[in-house]
Amino acid sequence: MTSLRARLWLIGVAGVALAVADCAVTIQSHHSQLRGVNGPLGAMIVLAFVMTGIFAWSRRPSNRVGRLMVATGFAFGGVGLAQANSSLLYTIGGAIGPLYLVFVTWLVLAFPDGRVDSRLGRRLVVAGFIDVLVIYELGILLDIDITGDVPDNLLAIVHAPGVAGAFDTASAAIGAVIIASVVRIVMVQRRRATPVAQHAAAPVLRTGLFCLSAVAISLAIGATGVSDLAHGIAGSVAALAFFALPFAYLIGLLRSRYARAGRVGELLGALSARASLRDTLAEALGDPSLRLVYRTESPTRWLDAEGRDVELPGRGVTHVERDGVCIGAIVHDPALDDERELVDAVAAAAALALENERLQAELRARVVELQQSRSKLIEVSMAERRSLERDLHDGAQQRLVALSVQVGLAKRKLNADPAAAAQLLDRAGDELRLALEELRELARGIHPAILTDRGLCPALQTLIDRAPPDLDVELSGAPDDRLPAPIEAAAYFVVAESLTNIAKYAHAGHASVLVERNNGHAVVEVRDDGVGGANPEAGTGLRGLADRLTVIDGRLEVVSPLGEGTLIRAQIPCA
Amino acid sequence: MPTTVLIVDDHPSFRSVARMLLESEGYDVVGEAPDGEAALELAAQLRPDVVLLDLGLPGIDGFEVARRLPPGPAIVLVSSRDARDIGPLADPVKGFIAKAELSGDTLREVLAA
Repeated sequence: MTSLRARLWLIGVAGVALAVADCAVTIQSHHSQLRGVNGPLGAMIVLAFVMTGIFAWSRRPSNRVGRLMVATGFAFGGVGLAQANSSLLYTIGGAIGPLYLVFVTWLVLAFPDGRVDSRLGRRLVVAGFIDVLVIYELGILLDIDITGDVPDNLLAIVHAPGVAGAFDTASAAIGAVIIASVVRIVMVQRRRATPVAQHAAAPVLRTGLFCLSAVAISLAIGATGVSDLAHGIAGSVAALAFFALPFAYLIGLLRSRYARAGRVGELLGALSARASLRDTLAEALGDPSLRLVYRTESPTRWLDAEGRDVELPGRGVTHVERDGVCIGAIVHDPALDDERELVDAVAAAAALALENERLQAELRARVVELQQSRSKLIEVSMAERRSLERDLHDGAQQRLVALSVQVGLAKRKLNADPAAAAQLLDRAGDELRLALEELRELARGIHPAILTDRGLCPALQTLIDRAPPDLDVELSGAPDDRLPAPIEAAAYFVVAESLTNIAKYAHAGHASVLVERNNGHAVVEVRDDGVGGANPEAGTGLRGLADRLTVIDGRLEVVSPLGEGTLIRAQIPCA
Repeated sequence: MPTTVLIVDDHPSFRSVARMLLESEGYDVVGEAPDGEAALELAAQLRPDVVLLDLGLPGIDGFEVARRLPPGPAIVLVSSRDARDIGPLADPVKGFIAKAELSGDTLREVLAA
């Protein structure tokens, strides 16, 4: 037996013992009126609260509602003890009697999730305890005068019935104000609550509010002393509503279970009628705010119906599985977390339909990706054109301009100063050689001829041959057979950009280049033993590479912890 | 008294040949600036007759430098592009010379226009 079950059993036994004791002392009471009715009735109230509370506690151990119901039941036992002929039981019962009103106030404030969310609500609960345990108890200590043949009040330290009566009246008046305030708070909260939360809490809250309103009226009439009859009627109405409270909880539960069976049946019918899945589920769960999200793998993403990425909230999420695989989730009102069986049943019934919608969402996401990829392609192309224009302008074009000016100057000096003209022509020759070299570099950067003519492996070898002398580069795994041209080009530029970065920034002594075909992908890896810390977001080189790869559905991964070298890995689909 | 010139260009090779060319044709090159900020400083300090101003400067471009220069020097824009790539010129720019066509004569023609 688990410790919770054992505890609940003990509480149950104690509750039964208290109910039996209450019934016995009330029936044998010399001072109780209607003791033949009040005895069994009091015992039933104690049992109803304790047993319903135990049921609620076992059903939702983390929810405080069950404990509050048990506490209310035990506190109400004090009312019965106050009917005892024994001075000790009479005194104990009298002292704790009104506590049940504080617990029931707390219960109504905390229903249905067990938390009192408003600060004012929490303060009112504390005020209720102070009212009973301080102001009311002062009346007991001052030996409040009670009519009839009652046992001695063992807590009386001074016999001052006048002052004690004033404390009793003040306690009742404060109690009425506290309870009236709680009624108002709960009514405001109900108006603001979601439809789901309102529906779940309706039976208990309606009964509880009715009970508390009647108690507040009864206390107010009692404090003012205007009418004994009105006081008695309000008290009886409050007692009846109080008695009904645990049954209201059970009725609410039964209603939701019957509704659940019906709703899941209706849901299955609606799903086969091809109604909108979201609307159908929203109706089945009574939650107009309900959303569906779909899960895709590789990479793991959550998508909405339009294929856009979404994040799951912390509460109010029910995962939907099909064949043991999570295919999506229902994002609903967190109040439905208390209706776990219902939401799970709905999720299970909707799994097939959700799987179909997931595929559609995945398709839409793919369309969005393709649109983005097309835009990216245009951006990459524009960026490359701009870069090319800049390289031409800053490089070869400047050299040719200088060359042109030098040749013109040399021509003018040819007769007057042949030596100076020869010097100018030498410089012009140097400029021409540099301009040619820059044009060759540029042409290689646009598309290396060796890649087209001889394929990836020889092209990579030329890249490696041009690496700085202090960098040892090793090539392995390059496939001898030709790959499609866009894939060869992408692989080539991954290696070219990586080796350029290594030479410029990595301070590496060794680098390795691996190109292999793996599981339908061309995988390119460039690894170095340099300083690490490469950031793909910081520069344009790696980001441009990633953009190029995105266009052909490839992905770029950069692993570059500080001080531990860098790994650049590109995966390019290659059927 | 020779015409004084400030050359503003971010390419050292062009500054070098432009200085050589202009000096050989009787101009007095009083300074060189690699960017717009340096050009503004040197122009205020040296008060040249002519500022030979490249359009494609790093940071603030040639047009902006021309707007910010103090009144006085004749501003002649130069570029490795030709006039078709530049578009119409506005005050205070005196004229435009493609770098490949720079000579003492072309500069004189622009200044005389």
